[in-house]
Amino acid sequence: MEFDFLNNLVTGFTAAATFKNIGLALLGCMLGTLIGVLPGIGPIPTIAILLPITFQLDPLGSLVMLAGIYYGAQYGGSTTSILVNMPGEASSIVTCIDGHQMAKQGRAGAALGVAALGSFFAGTVGTIFIAAFGPPLSALAQQFNSPDYFSLMVLGLVTAVVLAHGSVIKAIGVVMVGLLFGLVGTDVNSGVTRYTFGVSDLWDGIDFLPLVIGMFGVVEIIRNLEQPTMPRIPVSTNIRDLWPSMKDFQDSWRAVLRGTGIGSLLGILPGGGVVLASFASYTIEKKVAKDPSRFGKGAIEGVAGPESANNAAAQTSFIPLLTLGLPSNAIMALMMGAMIIQGIEPGAAVMTKRPDLFWGMVASMWIGNLMLLVINLPMIGIWVKLLSTPYRLLYPAVLLFCVIGIYSTNTNFTQLVLCAVFTLFGYILVRFGCEPAPLVLGFILGPLMEENLRRAMVISRGDAMIFFERPISATLLALSAAVIALIVLPQFRKTREQAFQE
Amino acid sequence: MFRVKSPQDFGAAVVFMLIGLAGVYFGKDLTFGSASRMGPGYFPTIISFLILGVGLLIGLRSIAVDGPPIGALQFRPIIFVIGAILVFGILIDRVGLAISAVTLTLVAGYARRNVNLKENFALGAGLAIFTIVVFVYALGQPLPAWWGR
Repeated sequence: MEFDFLNNLVTGFTAAATFKNIGLALLGCMLGTLIGVLPGIGPIPTIAILLPITFQLDPLGSLVMLAGIYYGAQYGGSTTSILVNMPGEASSIVTCIDGHQMAKQGRAGAALGVAALGSFFAGTVGTIFIAAFGPPLSALAQQFNSPDYFSLMVLGLVTAVVLAHGSVIKAIGVVMVGLLFGLVGTDVNSGVTRYTFGVSDLWDGIDFLPLVIGMFGVVEIIRNLEQPTMPRIPVSTNIRDLWPSMKDFQDSWRAVLRGTGIGSLLGILPGGGVVLASFASYTIEKKVAKDPSRFGKGAIEGVAGPESANNAAAQTSFIPLLTLGLPSNAIMALMMGAMIIQGIEPGAAVMTKRPDLFWGMVASMWIGNLMLLVINLPMIGIWVKLLSTPYRLLYPAVLLFCVIGIYSTNTNFTQLVLCAVFTLFGYILVRFGCEPAPLVLGFILGPLMEENLRRAMVISRGDAMIFFERPISATLLALSAAVIALIVLPQFRKTREQAFQE
Repeated sequence: MFRVKSPQDFGAAVVFMLIGLAGVYFGKDLTFGSASRMGPGYFPTIISFLILGVGLLIGLRSIAVDGPPIGALQFRPIIFVIGAILVFGILIDRVGLAISAVTLTLVAGYARRNVNLKENFALGAGLAIFTIVVFVYALGQPLPAWWGR
């Protein structure tokens, strides 16, 4: 076992650590940070905009670059959170609290440095986690049958709904609309086209990129343009003291360890583990601190803990995707979309059939993490410059990248019309207080859920009891029920509201 | 008569109910089948009804519980941003990336007040050069740089 573990990692690093691949990781990391650092563009639109660039590479190369983009985008998000107090996504909300306070006190460099170092450490542990738990979990996944997969997806969706921002019932609606959108196109079983309205470009289903870029990238631009003024970088921002001081290290290393532990564990949960991890870590840091009143006023543990937890969870959230083929959040759904376009169907089969690819990807995650540290710390000054560019010059550029991304993947006009339609739809959702992120999860899972439900029902001849008779499926459904029970309980509800308020 | 207490919820309810109804209506010609032999209409129809149900629930809540207002709509950003996307789509395979990029920048520029045409033109030209170098030449994306393909 021990030997296997090392062997696997060696396989991975041999495949991934070629000169070309490291270059791709570096490039991905840089582009990811470059777009991710733009205010108001979170990791989801960043990855969506950059995805098309990876499509022409060989599978491993594209996965390596994707990993780079992913970490770059995440880190870019943390940078905007700390410097301009604009969280690009739910999991960096916590970083804003103390990170931005630190920036206001002129300690942006320390906050960014600790975030990067903590993330790197967490990422390393997360990678080891994947290497250690990937194989046994994928062995477990071999036991999974259609009913179990269906129940697993139910659990994933339920958790995603509970952890979504804002109203739970609206999140349920949004997820189900995503499922329905996912079903558009030709039904694989009967060959009948559904909801295509005679548009032949929809026969293969709604393309992923126009939907994601429209709903996340373009909607963000419109939302930002509605604001009378864009948030500015605090004047006192000084990047001179880039490295955290010795005292900062002493104050934060325990928080990094705790955050990494919490994040690694929570990340495995299907559905929103990343968000949960950063909130949980912040709460714990506040609890264990000698002087909790420092939190909210620039406590470095409040940055170090959640950022590590966030990154560890982001790393281990690959586990359900790689072993079960189940994306646990919107970003994983994007990664899954990219893998499918590369002809890789994520799931237990990848590990057995293409070990070089699987372990290469695991290794590339670590390389991506390393690149982040290597290029981003020295380049923080450049990112800050970029952040201070007036928005009137930035948004046309971002919009142009969006449309080029869509058009270069599928060169027809319909894709851009779809993008316009989903922009409008996403805008309406946001305006009516519905968080659009769960939609992507539903969109990816829609066809998979239908297929597994159909197969399960064929096996059981239409008897729904099959979901309760199989132990794996029954356990997963019981977990889903428990999660639902949690939100009904007033106590948890209060905590959830509080958590999102902070 | 009822009174809408939460305009946001009410709007969301209308959106969900419309989508649910559309799902049921446009799925009515798809074979429904039975649980053991699900037709192409089975899953979408069930989902559509569920969406309709969620819409109704939110609708009921919107007249029972107070909620936030929708806030003033600004049509300028929506119209010009979406317009820029569509104009780009129409132009790109006819005149190539150079002209399309400049046009997109100019149209998108009007999404803000106080348009500075000169500045936007310069920005558009800069972006055109940048994207042609990066996307067309360096990354080899299938985009025509100049006129048709």
